[in-house]
Amino acid sequence: MIIKHLIRKEFLQIRRNAFLPRLILVFPVVIMCVMPWVMNQEVRNVRVCVVDSDRSVLSQRMVHDIEQSDYFIFTGQMPTYRAALKEIERSRTDIVLSIPPHYSRDLALGLRPQVLIAANAVNGTKGSIGSSYLSQIVGSAASAMPTAAVSTLFLYNKHLGYKVFMIPALLAIVMMLMCGFLPALNIVGEKECGTIEQINVTPVAKWQFILAKLVPYWIIGLFVVTVCLVLAWAVYGIVCQGPVLLVYLLAMLLALFFSSLGLLVSNYSDTMQQAILVMWFFVVCLLLLSGIFTPTRSMPDWSYMTTYVNPMHYFIDAIRTVFVRGGDLQSIGHQVLALAGFDVVMCSWAIVSYRKNS
Amino acid sequence: MNAIEVDNVSKSYGKTGTSASGTKALDGVCFSVGKGEMFGLIGPDGAGKTSMFRILCTLLLPDEGSASVDGFDIVRQTKEIRRRVGYMPGKFSLYQDLTVQENLEFFATLFGTSLAEGYDSIKAIYSQIERFKGRKAGALSGGMKQKLALCCALIHSPSVLFLDEPTTGVDPVSRKEFWDMLALLKERGITIVVSTPYLDEVRRCHRVAFLDHGRIRGIDKPEIILSRFADIFNPPGISHGRKEAAEDENVIEVEHLVKAFGTFRAVDDITFSVKRGEIFGFLGANGAGKTTAMHMLTGLNQPTGGTGKVAGFDIQTQHEELKKHIGYMSQKFSLYEDLTVAENISLFAGIYGMRKTDIGRKMKEVLKRLNFEEHRDDLVASLPLGWKQKLAFSVAIFHEPRVVFLDEPTGGVDPATRRQFWELIYDAAARGITVFVTTHYMDEAEYCDRISIMVDGKIRALGTPDELKRSFRQPDMDHVFTHLARQATRSSD
Amino acid sequence: MNQFLSFVIKESRHILRDRRTMLILFGMPIVLMLLFGFAITNDVKNVRTVVVTSQMDGLTSQAVARLAASEYFDITATAASAGEAEALIRRQKADMAVVFAADFASKRSGLQFIVDASDPNMAQQWTAYATQTLLGGQAQTANLKMLYNPQMKSAYNFVPAIMGMLLMLICAMMTSISIVREKERGTMEVLLVSPVRPLMIIVAKAVPYLALALGILVCILLMARCVLGVPLAGGIGWIFAVSGLYILLALSLGLLISDIASSQLMALLLSAMVLLMPIVMLSGMLFPIESMPVVLQWVSAVVPPRYYIEAMRKLMIMGVGIGDVLKEVAVLAGMTALLLTVALLKFNNRLE
Repeated sequence: MIIKHLIRKEFLQIRRNAFLPRLILVFPVVIMCVMPWVMNQEVRNVRVCVVDSDRSVLSQRMVHDIEQSDYFIFTGQMPTYRAALKEIERSRTDIVLSIPPHYSRDLALGLRPQVLIAANAVNGTKGSIGSSYLSQIVGSAASAMPTAAVSTLFLYNKHLGYKVFMIPALLAIVMMLMCGFLPALNIVGEKECGTIEQINVTPVAKWQFILAKLVPYWIIGLFVVTVCLVLAWAVYGIVCQGPVLLVYLLAMLLALFFSSLGLLVSNYSDTMQQAILVMWFFVVCLLLLSGIFTPTRSMPDWSYMTTYVNPMHYFIDAIRTVFVRGGDLQSIGHQVLALAGFDVVMCSWAIVSYRKNS
Repeated sequence: MNAIEVDNVSKSYGKTGTSASGTKALDGVCFSVGKGEMFGLIGPDGAGKTSMFRILCTLLLPDEGSASVDGFDIVRQTKEIRRRVGYMPGKFSLYQDLTVQENLEFFATLFGTSLAEGYDSIKAIYSQIERFKGRKAGALSGGMKQKLALCCALIHSPSVLFLDEPTTGVDPVSRKEFWDMLALLKERGITIVVSTPYLDEVRRCHRVAFLDHGRIRGIDKPEIILSRFADIFNPPGISHGRKEAAEDENVIEVEHLVKAFGTFRAVDDITFSVKRGEIFGFLGANGAGKTTAMHMLTGLNQPTGGTGKVAGFDIQTQHEELKKHIGYMSQKFSLYEDLTVAENISLFAGIYGMRKTDIGRKMKEVLKRLNFEEHRDDLVASLPLGWKQKLAFSVAIFHEPRVVFLDEPTGGVDPATRRQFWELIYDAAARGITVFVTTHYMDEAEYCDRISIMVDGKIRALGTPDELKRSFRQPDMDHVFTHLARQATRSSD
Repeated sequence: MNQFLSFVIKESRHILRDRRTMLILFGMPIVLMLLFGFAITNDVKNVRTVVVTSQMDGLTSQAVARLAASEYFDITATAASAGEAEALIRRQKADMAVVFAADFASKRSGLQFIVDASDPNMAQQWTAYATQTLLGGQAQTANLKMLYNPQMKSAYNFVPAIMGMLLMLICAMMTSISIVREKERGTMEVLLVSPVRPLMIIVAKAVPYLALALGILVCILLMARCVLGVPLAGGIGWIFAVSGLYILLALSLGLLISDIASSQLMALLLSAMVLLMPIVMLSGMLFPIESMPVVLQWVSAVVPPRYYIEAMRKLMIMGVGIGDVLKEVAVLAGMTALLLTVALLKFNNRLE
């Protein structure tokens, strides 16, 4: 078995490397322990300053409500709206609530006066969500009238925790870095030190050589997935809702795709620098267009079309279905097929593009 | 005042490297070099030559002792020294993505001169590669690169010049030209310290120091040193019972083989055959097309025209089948440096489909023959060059191929190790393995059963060493080679 | 001077010869700008909605029509029961369901949303939009005013972030690799032994990358202004001055990496995984710093791009004067001085 020897060689080389084993061990752990805290687009701790020209009981109550709220940090009162805007410019506050003079009197007279909420909208999400929270608080303070009876049932993620959303995404990112970048560097490395020439004069078949390069990274991939799942459970108490085997299946399909992509890139590159830049370019595009951070359905049509040829999109869709929504094989059937299709194409391409004889 | 004074210099490499205890690279070295002297630093691999050069160039600090170059202390007066010395390191490498001319211009400006000013001092060698001045250095052949590196090192005129094995991989004719250039520099009063594995080059030095295991064993005129340590430098030739009529079976048959890169014919219609068990020397100047020809025979490259059969397989159509029956050792050392000796052997044996029990048994034999038993589990990266080459050869023939191709296997290896290497070759040939070898050592050429000499992509001479000497009326192979190579009109591949 | 020039020319040739790298270096900002500008949005759009109703009376169908007419929601199915709708969501055929109770018409109540909350932010926005669409027309108590970015374009937020990331990547990663490559290939030995001062070698290496970074900066700013319509509200002069400072910082960081790394692979991994990841994650470019746990907020305080991105957002988008970003500039300057000193002290002009 030629391939056994080649695989053994890859493992030995990974083990001998001063940096790689540590990277493989530490990287997923760090990512899983730190990133869920970071990758958090919840809008919280929005700083509000109030320009209270009314100085009534009602305006006092609004300030009090803001102080009480979890979302807001009350940064103080400002004498004028102009001074408050200056505060925004200095980044000491994010939103200004300006209560006009005689607000509470006008309200009592039924004149429907309006407060002014001016938000720093450089970050659009934060600006809009923050100001709509604030207007809710103001609204409920202003009118004792109860809002219409609408109940909302949030499925799969009752507490609207962002971590549940992000952990499958992190799994994808870690797999991508481990199984994509490392093989890309591997072949270029052999090219640069000339050992590939020695291999090329041996009777090793192309597929054997390529497969031997891929297998170690798949095994590393399996290990990484396990680490991620265990950590998600141990640190955050988040467990996979669907069958865990499906997570492994999807992870393997993704690992196969990225490792073939890595080899493909390295077959066409002459230096490590080239390989890593090209790889990085592809990965960023695949990632951003996959719906990992933002919903794909919000995209304009032209970019939504690209998701059909983006394996990362299928993966993210499928893994969220399994991990968060508790889907079974049937519900992710077409994603699995699509991923498998991409794998076959990429793998064959990687094998064909590796040239033993020119 | 002497140009270089070295007083009791020691240097050891501590925890770095793979050996557990620190290795002592230099141990109490003392010598001095007079102004305008051509001083040779010779010794086997790992003797500490490169460490010595680096210390003198202020790249390393000695652990003990002191040294001065041109009257400046190497520890404290770094700047002054760096302004006055020229240095060509052993693994000198050019900027691959710059053209020949750009490389030269860059190094010229680096040393505060210009290509026009320095042109005369490098003319003899540069004229050979000048027509490729627009080509990227990365696209040159190995020997060509070395020539360009020589030009880069010699383009300025420092007061002291350090050259660490400058002619490794360079053909004999160019080596002579290089040393003629050095002689010119010497006349201008430049002090030169040079290390070399070639004996003819050693003889051209004024004095040589023989360094072994970090200690100076002797400093004297070259002849005296060479005769005093004759067992190391001038081992007795190998007696080789030449088979009168080798078996009739042709292992390599090549007819009208051509490889063209665009309009340039690197290999231009060559025809020859090699018999089973023969040692076939494939000689030629740098850029004559040897490596390209060898790449076609080993199935790394497709020929543009002509036919070739190796071990009975067509090189054009059956190149993958063919690879099962050959061994190959490339110019550049290409075993895995991060694997151990045993791991490398079993990897390549496994690739050729040998069975586990056979591998184990045979590995013992091979390690024993190489006296490598205690280095079985050492990383290849930690071995000296000569050992690596012997190991690479043993790996190349481990699966008992029918032909083994060796591309400059002994480049930069000291004479004693080279002799051991040839003993291994004879061993292999006696077992019926055909050996196809390129070399720039003309003494090695004499060891071959038959040789061919390539000039400008064509085979200009073919026969046994004696036949060639007779037909070209030259006293030895060196002269035969020079005679033929001087007729070359082009100089690159 | 002559030596210096020839050094710079040599280094520029290395960069220019490598077409593929050049292509990526200039293609990357363009593609990123387009993606962030157009493709990556958090807008509520095309939400696949299931309507669950037992009887389609007048008021209900009116509400459904309002929902269907809005650009936010696509009604993809009607279901008879909430359970059926939930199954549709589970199978990824829909994102949310609107359940009208039987007595919806009479009481104007009994409305339930069933939402796929795997993306919590979007789920909240969907319900907010749906409530507004169905029950809109309530008295507005507040007048909302979005400062600086009235159309809420995400590009306004991302352009400074992309600048912060790319400039760091190009300067730090590319410089460190180019220095380490010379070490690996052995050319560094010759350079060190030559009469050229080590400081000059480093400066000469940095100059072409500085030029490249400025070129990319101009490219990004032009794209931002002309294609994405992001205002460059602040003074262009100050934008370049602060960016210049930041580039210098990135170059020092690159030098520091090259001091530590012994091989190209290590330099690459160091800059890609140890440098790039924290930058993307902790600089506030994608994820707001104030939502992080306090410990991570402290960590992010030492991530240089945080200050650069912050300063650029203020200068470019909010159009404040340099006086309002003095704090960020001071921090950047301090970090640059520190990194440069450490890098130069660590730079070894011998081997070992």
